[in-house]
This record gives sequence, structure tokens and C-alpha cells, in this order.
Amino acid sequence: MILLQLIYSGIALGMIYAVIAFGYQLTFATSGTLNFGQGEALMLGALVGLTLVGLGVNYWVMIPIVCVFGFVQGAVVERVAVRPAIRTRSEFGWIMATIALGIIFRNVAENVWGRDDLRFPSPLPESPIRLLGANVLPMELLVVFGALAMMLLVELFNRKSIHGKAFVATAADRDAAGLMGVNTGLVITCSYALSSLTAAFAGVLVAPLTLTGATMGAVLGLKAFAVAIIGGLSSGLGVVVGGLILGIAETTTGFYLSTGYKDVPGLVLLLLVLTVKPAGLFGKTAIKKV
Amino acid sequence: MDFRLKLFAGTLALALSAAGHAADPIKIGVSGPYTGGSSSMGVSMRDGVRLAIEEINKNGGVLGGRQLVAIERDDEAKNERGVQIAQELINKEQVAATVGFINTGVALAAQRFYEDAKIPVFNNVATGSVITHQFEPPEYPDNYVFRNAANDSLQAPMIVEEAVVRRGFKKVAILADSTNYGQLGREDLEKALAAKGVKPVAVEKFNIKDVDMTAQLLKSKEAGAEAVLTYGIGPELAQIANGMAKLGWKVPIVGSWTLSMANYIDNSGANGEGAVMPQTFIQDGNTPRRKAFIDAYLAKFKPKNDRIDSPVSAAQAYDSIYLLAAAFEQAGGTDGPKVREALESLQKPYEGVVMTYDKPFTHDNHDAIAAKDVVMGEVKGGRVVLAH
Repeated sequence: MILLQLIYSGIALGMIYAVIAFGYQLTFATSGTLNFGQGEALMLGALVGLTLVGLGVNYWVMIPIVCVFGFVQGAVVERVAVRPAIRTRSEFGWIMATIALGIIFRNVAENVWGRDDLRFPSPLPESPIRLLGANVLPMELLVVFGALAMMLLVELFNRKSIHGKAFVATAADRDAAGLMGVNTGLVITCSYALSSLTAAFAGVLVAPLTLTGATMGAVLGLKAFAVAIIGGLSSGLGVVVGGLILGIAETTTGFYLSTGYKDVPGLVLLLLVLTVKPAGLFGKTAIKKV
Repeated sequence: MDFRLKLFAGTLALALSAAGHAADPIKIGVSGPYTGGSSSMGVSMRDGVRLAIEEINKNGGVLGGRQLVAIERDDEAKNERGVQIAQELINKEQVAATVGFINTGVALAAQRFYEDAKIPVFNNVATGSVITHQFEPPEYPDNYVFRNAANDSLQAPMIVEEAVVRRGFKKVAILADSTNYGQLGREDLEKALAAKGVKPVAVEKFNIKDVDMTAQLLKSKEAGAEAVLTYGIGPELAQIANGMAKLGWKVPIVGSWTLSMANYIDNSGANGEGAVMPQTFIQDGNTPRRKAFIDAYLAKFKPKNDRIDSPVSAAQAYDSIYLLAAAFEQAGGTDGPKVREALESLQKPYEGVVMTYDKPFTHDNHDAIAAKDVVMGEVKGGRVVLAH
């Protein structure tokens, strides 16, 4: 039952990583750029959610409000940090710009909410449920199913709606999509908005499990990036699998090897994937034409 | 000029210089983290200093009417900020002494400048054992570093005493964070356990900001631990308590004084109840002096739920100012070497809120607090109360 308990915790942890990594994948697909402030988008979502809950808003009512906030925040990031870089065809401008914006967001959060970790009241009972002989928290189940539901919704939107088709078209070939009348600039803005929306949603989902504070996004954002690389930046399924691999690797190594080395196997895997299959386990290998 | 005029001029000059002297305030540097993860300790420390200075000034100041002025600086728990602040306080503000330091690393980096400038520096919160032993003979004839906080080498044996002797747990697990604080504390704990002939059944590590403690706790549980000994800071300690609740495994937590941090108590809620830790001061007015201090603090700073964020920091800081004031009086001035000598041979016992300081320091002992002055506190109903 030890292994089962470790796997449960690993899955819960892995889904937290996966849902953040999913945001990386969204913007990479359409624009070939990433928001390195993804962890900060998650943090802002959690803190805005905490403030709303503090004002007496119900947890479930608060979630859509936080999603709207995330949507706007993502659009701002794209307009301020990414669009100028894409326009000037700068290869690296957006990297520095999104990192800089992330730092600004963190500093603003430190001034607004303080620098201490805060408690996020759990909307579900905090006593564990016994499932097949090991314990899980109701909140962990919510994270797993909430994250899966959100990813499914985004995938459905992409495949079924006309707006989603514009996304896919831009992802496939931005110039051709532009010639076919797709407003690719708007699509890229929307993909950033959607990516921050998922991060903000993830924030309020994980906040009752982790602690809430201005620095909560830094470590999570970094691990999620590793997940995105392992799973493949162009695959939604990849980030889920990548997240689960990293999460379970962390908890099992911690138990069977040493808690001092629990971050090592995930990073070794990252290096292996980069050498053997640079596009990620589920990624499509890009052919660079010169 | 006839004699009367001379006398008049002389009296006038004397009176003027005396008046000038009396109006000349004494500057005291206050260095601590008022923002960041250890800010609950830093802010409580600062407020304790403010309270003591206000009282002393209201009662006529020191040295015949000179007022104390606090020069407060936020060191952000960063070593390099601590160094800059030390230089500013010494060279620009020309403080008579400095109190503060929450973080052992900052203290070790910054107090070198006070030692060189021969200005007393008074640690009222940081607990690293080495702090008061950084400048010792023969290399340094005189040590300008003083402290009235319980150092780590005192705490580890107390934690072990509580878990192994008092409660009779022979199988204990150690959970410590990967910082200097946690790992030095783990060494101290292992030494103290060895002295009692006990070997920990599990020794586990975690990182700052870790959100999942399942592996560490399962290992302790599987090894048959009857109690968990901790060395870390508030947020991660709360994750340990929450993780235990998730696994449905409830054993006592005994650890360093950080288990009294507000962010441990708040973030662990019901799961954190019953944790036991060494404390020099508990917010419980069991003597008139303590009651007066607590009442004055609550009235002035109005903390949330009438709970001082870090009562230990506030009380030690409050006492440190009174001890310095007593030293100024005894030295008859603020000259650094004289104040140091006065601190090392304080004549009048001072009844503080932590304890009564009767000759707290000597030339070779700069730690005011000994094992007998420390009690065990317990988290109960979201507050720290006396354990026994």
C-alpha cells in the first residue's frame, strides 16, 4: 500500500505540474513563444482568488471571476512583451520580456499581498478519503479531475469551434493561415490569454494544497517547464504524461532512494529526453528548412 | 570683565553645553527583515524595540534626559543588505549600538563591522550557536557581540529531553530543511540523541517551498517513528503537519522554536495542534511585568486576534533595549568600549519580561540565556501556551 500511496501523491503533484505545463504548450503551438511568467500567472490567480474568498465570495463563484482575470492578464502579457518581439522577428526578445514581466508581477504581488505565505481555505472537507487502501485528500481529487476537465475543454474548443480551427491553423502554419484570412495576431493574443487563464485556474485549484504567496509560482513554474520539455511542447497529451512521470518519480525516489535526491530522476529524465528525443516524448519532430 | 560677569558667562556656557548635551539623542540601529518569510519575527522584534524606547523616553530617557532614537533598517534577511546597513549605521548614522538580526547568516556577515568599529551589537533573535563566538581571544581581545536569545546548541538537547526522556519515545524521526539552519540543527539533534543513546529511525530532508511531504512522512512512518523532531521554518513545517493529517498518521511533533511562528500555526490549522517547542517567552501574563508588557504591546500595535506574531522576538527585543539603556547609565556615556565593559559587568539586576537578568554577561560569556531560562511551549487553540 506504500507504493499506492506514493503513486496517489505523485499523481496529484504531477497534475499540478501538468496543468501549468499545458499553458506553455498553448502559446508555443500558435506562436512558437512561451510565457516564462507562467508561474507568476498561477500565483496571481491564486492571490486574486484568495482576496475574493476573503471578501465573502463563494469558492465556486470565484473560479470564473479568476478565469476572466487570468484571460485579461495573459492578453496584457502578449501585447506588452511578446508582440513587439514577434513583429521585429527577434529570436530572444520575448524570453527576456516575459521573464521581466514575471518579476514585475511578483514584486507587485509582494507589495499588495505581502511576502508571507497565506492559508487558502479549502472548499472541500480536509479529512482524507480511503481509496483502495491508501489515503487521498478530496482536494487532490479535485485538482486531478479539474485539470483534466479543463484540458479536455480547451482541446474540444480547438477541434470543434471555428475559433478553435483558427488556432489550429495558426499552429500549423502561421503565414498560410494569415493568407487564408485568419487574424493570426489576434489568435496569438487569445492563446496567451487562454494560457494565463489555465494558469490562474490552476492557481486557485492548487492553492488549498500548497500555500499561497508571492513566491509560490517560482518553483512550480520551473518544474512545469521541465514537464513541458519531457512531454513535448506541441502535445497536450504529452504534458499530462510528462507531469505524471515527474510527479511519481519525485515521490517514489524520495521514499525508495533518499529525500535529498528526490528532484534528481526527473531532471536526469529531462536530460535524457533532450539527447534522445529533443522534441519530447510526444512531440512532433520539427524539420527546420534552411 | 569683572568677576561677576565672568561667573555669569561661565554659568551660561555651562548651562548651554549641558542643555545641548541633554537634547542630544542617542541613536540605536535596528536591523531585521520587515518583509519576507521571516518578517513575522522581524516585525515583532521591531515593535518590541519601539515599545521599550517609547517607555524609556517617557520616563525621562537615559543619562540625565537624553532620548533614545531607533534607526530602523530592513535587511530583507539578505546577507549583503545586512552588510550595507551595518556600514550605513556605523559611518553615516553613527549609532551608539545596534540591536536586531533575525537570521544567523545576516548576523555573521554584518557584525564584523561593529567589531572593527568597537560598537556593541546586540542579537535579540538569531539563534545560530556560532554568533557570539565569532570574535574571541586571542585574535580579538574584546568581543562586541552580545545576545539574549536561546542559541541552537541549547535547543536541540531540550527537544530531545522532551521527546525521549519526558515522553519516553525511543523511536524518533528527524525532518529538517536543506538550509544551513535546518542542517546545522539536524547535526545538533543527532548529537543530542546520541548522548541519550538513541539513534533516529529516519533522517529526512526537504526543500524550502516543497509542497508534498508524503515521501518523508511515509519513510518515518514505515520506520516506526513514535515522534517527529523538526528543524525548519513555518510554511514547510505546516506542510508536514498537513501531510500527516492526509496520511492519517498522527504522532507528536517536537521541534525548534520556529514551530511557534504564526505562519506555521495559521497554515496548519487544526493539524498543527499539539506541536511542542522551546520558548523563552510565551504570551501569557503570568507575572505582573509580563502582563504589563503584553497589554502595552497589544494596545499599541493591535495585532490580529490579539496574538503577537512572534512573542519570543518581541519580548527579547524589548529586553535588549532595557539592557542597553542600563549599560549606557552604568558606563556614563555611549562610548563603545565603555558600554561593552558595562554590559559585561552589569551591576543592577534588571527584571525583564523574559527573565530577571542578574549579571547576564561576563567578559567571556556573551549569551544571556541559559538552558534553565527556556521553557517548552505548545500550540493549543491557535496560540502558543505553556506546555507543562
